[in-house]
Amino acid sequence: MYAKQTVLKNVSGLHARPASDFVALAKTFESKVTVQRLDEEDAVVTNAKSIIKVLAQGLSVNTPIEIAADGPDEQEAVDQLVALVDSKFGEE
Amino acid sequence: MRILKGNPVSRGIALGNVFVYKAFTADVHESYFEEGHAQEQLQKFRDAARMAESELDRVIEKFSSVSEEKAKIFAAHKEILNDEEVVEGIEGMILDDHAMPDYAVDMVFTEFAILLSKAKDPLIAARAADLRDVRNRVLRILKGEKEMNLAHLTEQVVVVAHDLLPSDTATLDREKVLGIITEVGGATSHTAIIARSYSIPAVLGVPEATEILASVGHVVLDALAGKVLIEPDQQTILEYQVKLAEYQKEECETREYLTKIPLTASGEKVSIGLNIGSTEPDEGFKYSDFVGLFRTEFLYMESEHMPTEEEQVAAYRKVLANAMGNPVTLRTLDIGGDKSLRYLALPKEENPFLGNRALRLCLSLPDLFRTQLRAALRASAFGELWLMFPMVGTIDDVRNARARVESVKAELRTEGIAFDENIKVGIMIEIPSIAVIADLAAKEVDFASVGTNDLTQYLHAVDRMNAAIVDYYQSMSPSMFRMLGMIFSEFNKAGKPISVCGELAGDPLAAIPLVGLGLRKLSMNASNIARVKWMLSKFTLTEMKEIAERVQLMATQADVNQLLKEEAAKRA
Repeated sequence: MYAKQTVLKNVSGLHARPASDFVALAKTFESKVTVQRLDEEDAVVTNAKSIIKVLAQGLSVNTPIEIAADGPDEQEAVDQLVALVDSKFGEE
Repeated sequence: MRILKGNPVSRGIALGNVFVYKAFTADVHESYFEEGHAQEQLQKFRDAARMAESELDRVIEKFSSVSEEKAKIFAAHKEILNDEEVVEGIEGMILDDHAMPDYAVDMVFTEFAILLSKAKDPLIAARAADLRDVRNRVLRILKGEKEMNLAHLTEQVVVVAHDLLPSDTATLDREKVLGIITEVGGATSHTAIIARSYSIPAVLGVPEATEILASVGHVVLDALAGKVLIEPDQQTILEYQVKLAEYQKEECETREYLTKIPLTASGEKVSIGLNIGSTEPDEGFKYSDFVGLFRTEFLYMESEHMPTEEEQVAAYRKVLANAMGNPVTLRTLDIGGDKSLRYLALPKEENPFLGNRALRLCLSLPDLFRTQLRAALRASAFGELWLMFPMVGTIDDVRNARARVESVKAELRTEGIAFDENIKVGIMIEIPSIAVIADLAAKEVDFASVGTNDLTQYLHAVDRMNAAIVDYYQSMSPSMFRMLGMIFSEFNKAGKPISVCGELAGDPLAAIPLVGLGLRKLSMNASNIARVKWMLSKFTLTEMKEIAERVQLMATQADVNQLLKEEAAKRA
């Protein structure tokens, strides 16, 4: 199990294209990958490979999140997904 | 001739034959298969999913060169179809519970659609429609039925449906669809947005339309009035053919006026203002001279808590930025007993429209008012912001409100926070008691704006929410024009800006007498700008003054309407 925290900095948050990109990248890893918002108590640990579950979280700009992975490529998965989030998905 | 009524969400008129479009409707029941067939049933689902994917691939391919937007919708459908949790959920139900594939598909997609529809962001909630769309595709394939859509219509038709899903509207042939009638949906529904963007006339929310129109040939769809005329007689058809031609001519002519400077036929400039109620960008900013009404209620209605000073400053600054240097008239909170806020309990009132609302409420809740005034004043350092109070009935109201502004200004000075020292402070004129002393009010304020909706309601003593008395709500009555004329002339005499921001200002016919009565600032929703600019360009100022004189001497609103229509028709 490996996890990192970051904050969504792109204007549209994890909606629309950024959400698709995020899920598509998560799917390239063998590990189980999850995302969880940190600004609400008891927030659901969401399967990062499910576009619907990710969208349903309504993760908007400035939401703090934790990305976690469990499996053979867990560190790579988390690092790459955090890098994608921190790159603001190419917005701006 | 029977007439059905509905919600006109996309303007226009259509005459044509009815095509009742019945998208595949899934008839799914809870059902299970017998032990030992799990692999076979699983394969059935997987085959259907694979076929659905290749159908989607074909549509994406078809649209990729024509419309990137449409291709995207179906690419999103593919993502949903291949969603890991959806697939696991369905396959799990088949393998573990022995659920029939159609039942499993229906259950899982419905569950996820409900999950999405609960999202706070309306854009995400709207995607529940995409899920239902994909579900129907898979269920149809499981039933072995062919795809039916609006892409291959053989003649021009008025489409009637229960509702249209994104895949229906995305593939519909715009040349063949004359109009749209659905049983469900409002002005912000998916179908409404698409209809407007395609300029297809649409009337939605017509109950039982698919049943009633099932055996009907010809209809007239009047999406100006929100009516469907079933099997119209020859005379009605002729009338509507004329109306349609007029409408098309007007549309074509008015569209050009959107970008023009608003001038009368004799060359006088009239200022066109924009009414807004959010921080969203609006096309109207580009084509208007000022924001005549910035409603701030959304900040309070859409929030879970009392909006903080910082939240308000950010919102007001965003609007000032959108306005690109034009003045923005910020109206302070206008709510009362008929609306409630989750975090603020207001006592239920017998007569909310005559109750503790708007400025009255703000004066009785000093902290709420102070926070909004502080935020507005702080934002005034970043653009030209005018401050306006709603529901002013007396000079006492004006003085009380101004005293609150002064005390907030003093606070900010002490704290060394920047604001516009010369900020303009004005009032809404919507209560007759202040209208009749417009001369006195003009001395106490920097400007005023007439809210004609409430002014009509209070002048005519008509509750505008009561459907039983709609005929008594007469915003174009001779009494209204006399009162407006008096207000305009007193403010013009005092040299103080006066505008109208009620619905009357956005009505092209009403604009003529308003300008004739001395008004030079009309504020409206973006959708009315082109038509008002167009109408103003047809009349000289002398003609408008003459018409204004005449409407004040007419006996009834019907006479006023007739005169204005005739004068407009002469110049069309």
